[in-house]
Amino acid sequence: MWVTNLKIVGVVLGVLSLYTLIANKIPQVQSEVPQALALGANVTPEQLVAAGEKVFNGIGGCTTCHGLGTRAPNLLTDEKGTGPIGARCGRRETGKTCKQYLFESLDNPTAYVVPGYQPIMPVMTKQLSPEQVWAVIAFLESQGGTVDVTASDIPAPSPGALTPGASPGSPGSGPPGFAAGSTDPKAIIQAAGCLACHKLDGQGQMIAPDLTHVGSRRDAESIRKKILDPASSVAKGYEKLAGIMPKTFGSMMNASQLEALVQYLAAHK
Amino acid sequence: MSDVLLLVQAAADTTRAYGEFPVIGARAAVWIAAEVHLMFAAFVLGVPMFAVVTEAIGIFGGDERYDRLSKEFTRLLLVAYSATAIWGTVLLFFLATLYPRFFAYLFAIFKYSAWVYAGLFFFESFTLYLYYYGWDRWKKGRAKVGHWTLGILLNVWGTIVMFIANSWLTYMMSPPRDIGPTTDPTTIKLWHAIANATWMPINVHRLVANVVFGGAIVGAYASYRFLAARTDEERAHYDWMGYVGNFIAISALIVLPFAGYWLGREIYQYDQSMGITMMGGFMSWLWVIQAFLIAVLFLTGNYYLWIGMGRIPGAERFRPYTKWLLAVLVLGAIVWGTPHTMIADSKELAAMGGSHHPFLGALGVMSAKNTAVNLMILTTFLSFLMYRRGNMRLVVPWARAGTMIQAAMFAIAAGVVLFYGIRGYFVDAIVRIGFSVYQVLAVLACIAGVTVIDILLGRGAQSLGAIQWGKMPPRSQYALFILAVTFTWLMGLMGFARSGVRQYWHVWQVMQDTSKYAATPALGYASKMISLCVLIFLSLVAFVFWLGGLAEKSTFVSAGEGKARHVGH
Amino acid sequence: MSLRLPPALRRYAEHPFWQAVGLLVLAYVVVVFVIPLLPGSAIVPKSVVLQYMATVLVGVLIYVSDNEERWARFKEPLGALATEPRLKLVRGVVLAGVTGLVGLVTYGQVRTTVAAPPNLRSIHPAPPTEITFRGHSVTLTGLDNPLRQHPESAAAHLVVGKRIYYQNCLPCHGDHLDGQGHYASGFNPIPANFQDNGTIAQLTESFVFWRIAKGGPGLPREGTPWNSAMPRWEDFLTEREIWSVILFLYDQTGWTPRTWEKTVSSER
Repeated sequence: MWVTNLKIVGVVLGVLSLYTLIANKIPQVQSEVPQALALGANVTPEQLVAAGEKVFNGIGGCTTCHGLGTRAPNLLTDEKGTGPIGARCGRRETGKTCKQYLFESLDNPTAYVVPGYQPIMPVMTKQLSPEQVWAVIAFLESQGGTVDVTASDIPAPSPGALTPGASPGSPGSGPPGFAAGSTDPKAIIQAAGCLACHKLDGQGQMIAPDLTHVGSRRDAESIRKKILDPASSVAKGYEKLAGIMPKTFGSMMNASQLEALVQYLAAHK
Repeated sequence: MSDVLLLVQAAADTTRAYGEFPVIGARAAVWIAAEVHLMFAAFVLGVPMFAVVTEAIGIFGGDERYDRLSKEFTRLLLVAYSATAIWGTVLLFFLATLYPRFFAYLFAIFKYSAWVYAGLFFFESFTLYLYYYGWDRWKKGRAKVGHWTLGILLNVWGTIVMFIANSWLTYMMSPPRDIGPTTDPTTIKLWHAIANATWMPINVHRLVANVVFGGAIVGAYASYRFLAARTDEERAHYDWMGYVGNFIAISALIVLPFAGYWLGREIYQYDQSMGITMMGGFMSWLWVIQAFLIAVLFLTGNYYLWIGMGRIPGAERFRPYTKWLLAVLVLGAIVWGTPHTMIADSKELAAMGGSHHPFLGALGVMSAKNTAVNLMILTTFLSFLMYRRGNMRLVVPWARAGTMIQAAMFAIAAGVVLFYGIRGYFVDAIVRIGFSVYQVLAVLACIAGVTVIDILLGRGAQSLGAIQWGKMPPRSQYALFILAVTFTWLMGLMGFARSGVRQYWHVWQVMQDTSKYAATPALGYASKMISLCVLIFLSLVAFVFWLGGLAEKSTFVSAGEGKARHVGH
Repeated sequence: MSLRLPPALRRYAEHPFWQAVGLLVLAYVVVVFVIPLLPGSAIVPKSVVLQYMATVLVGVLIYVSDNEERWARFKEPLGALATEPRLKLVRGVVLAGVTGLVGLVTYGQVRTTVAAPPNLRSIHPAPPTEITFRGHSVTLTGLDNPLRQHPESAAAHLVVGKRIYYQNCLPCHGDHLDGQGHYASGFNPIPANFQDNGTIAQLTESFVFWRIAKGGPGLPREGTPWNSAMPRWEDFLTEREIWSVILFLYDQTGWTPRTWEKTVSSER
């Protein structure tokens, strides 16, 4: 019996080793992770700029406002005679280099609102990974200026490096929300910059649907859904602008703010 | 809704994205756990399928042997079932601790289906216990039919369980197109995520493959018992069992390529670049290895049948033909294994003018390969037919005409396959892909037609002598082992193909793998992992078999004198 | 064996052992010597020879062992070789021969040579879904040659494409578009042969566009180990020029580009 058992083991092992051998005999090709998505320690300015351009035009959603010329300053082209962003960033705030200014305006956008524009820009450091933020800065610097972003600017990725575009809140507590957590709907609307696109009670822009009578078109549930997931539905006549509304409001305000805002809007019949 | 979001977000932020496993690393740990779990799962899903079928044959055909066979299958299931659950739990723990963020993401989408999954496991276990332990109590009349219904129910639970698990992994492969990296997982509709592009093809593919796999493992079990047998009667029983297992495995294998083509098609339609990565990109060599393995399956399966003809009185009439069948199979294997892009050194490359051989390169394209594999399927079917006819003397008056019609059907099917195979060289890719459908249809029609005629032909046929079960040389049993190992290995390989084609994504183009194991390994490394998994699985299965032998007071003994004691192998 | 052979030879021809040996020799001769002689053929790479011979060997082993009687007869000469006193000399020769052969194979494996090792390049690696062409992005998936939208101006584009080809591509890809340009022999990998049914005939135009625009430097890792010398033509040609040269390639070779719907690759 032992002889039979050994023979069986022999046949099994023989077949296994044959297959393993053949698979190892052929040339070995490993599929690598593409370079552009992982900016290593010796990343060149060119690579940063190229990656930043991708983020700027794609996942960062920057072109939604910057570039139309109405909602935010132009960055890639001349803005009121001051040149593209790379040329003017160093002069925007005294005492701040171009790099510092760009980082801070991505990290705390409401601090540097250009006169004539609404404070509608989301906090980009919460939307993008550090690599992506610094790549965008490098790209912006390349527009008329010199790129001085290096790999040392990028903080070493934390063990839980962000997946691109994931929007983390502060752990456990949730976002503080707009206007220091106020539940006054008017303050939220003001702070969130809704009126940069929407019109409400005669104020605001006409880029997006007028919200004055929104309560007669949508119920509270529908409004809530639209704020949390703007792509879920598109108002009639605005199909071409679908996707412009930022998807981040849901993660920027806290639950009571959202509820207050929804009830306020739903009451606008 | 938004507070759920925040909770998930907070959980995701506070956990680290990846854990580490000592020595072999996190990826290898999850790989092994998933693969071994899957192999056991395939076994416990595949075996009930034909336990039920064999029980039905026993009930409606009145052959006691089939009923005993069915019970013997089910006994193997009991232990294998808990092994499946254990490895499933190991996988769950590994995923939750080694890939916590990814796990949280998947769970946020699929939590309800995961609960249903766990619930179904309960139903399935209890149905299995009822099925097995109630076997002797509900043995007669209506109770027996009720018992059989339990078996069907067992399959229903099992199939639903598999469909649910499939939805998770197919979501990773082909998430619906409107889901992007920024989509909040809690807003994704469950059904939307389940019904993704590759879900149904994978379901069907796995369903069929499980039957094949179950048959192969049962065949290996039977051959093990055959080799260990002490009495002729025992040998006869296990020889027969091995034959049934092999028959089921090979018959289901014939359908499998068609399910595979459907899956491939869906992948191409879902994402062209994923399809190209799979078939022409860094994985293209995997298919040459696959072709090799399938050639081994065809050759070994036929070899077993041909040796088996030695125990059938009258089968020697068909002996002279087997060598021509063999020739077709070998030529088919050669064509099928011919790589499109050849490994060559620079001198050979220069002589060939590229890595396509100017002459043999023509064998490397789909037209040739489809033709080869369809002819191999036809040949295997012909082997089965000869085996079946082995000890029959036909008595129906139209025996000769009937056989001529059958031969004509074979000729026509082979003609159609060859015609479209050759014509494929002269038309566009789009048209050519359509041709494979005609080839397949011709083969299937031939199989169906010939089978029907053969059943009619065999009515009232005289026997040239009973099949002498047990009169098999040991090498035929080793062939069954090779089949089982090859099937298992092939399953591991295809699992690597399906999973590896995602490359550095956890969820294709939605969630990126940022761990240090993000790069997809080369085939050499993968083959070592596959061999390791197969070895773990087979060792455990051997243990299960051994346990089955311990517990058993032999199912077949009831037929004989009961003197056959099983040795404690 | 219907041939009329002398009885002595016939005894050999009917013996399974010698049949097996004969089949193996025949297969080897066909693969190594006959196939290269066929018109338009070339030598078969060693890796493929090995693969074919292994398949034939398995087939032969199945043949000799699929029935008891033949298997017993097959083993006779082997048993005799191992035991019969009168075959002592043959036994010695066989043992020495096998040992020598193993040694020779091992030597061949470990010996260092100046030749580059055999390699597998994926000729058609998976394309990215989109590329950046001179700063703006081009989505490759589903993309067709934009110049084909206006069939009436095709002739003009062809003239442009032809001029571009002869000014830029000719030195490597050759006058016949067959990859046999003047410099071709200096390269590894050698330039693509567009006349071959395995190159542009199997590809979508967007794939060809990607390869021309990004050249050797743009190949993913599976396109290595040897780096293609193909330049990044986006640095020298405009998008329109590349599309016209693609038009020219297909027109001149007579291939039609692969279309997008429901394609399944022909490479396995």
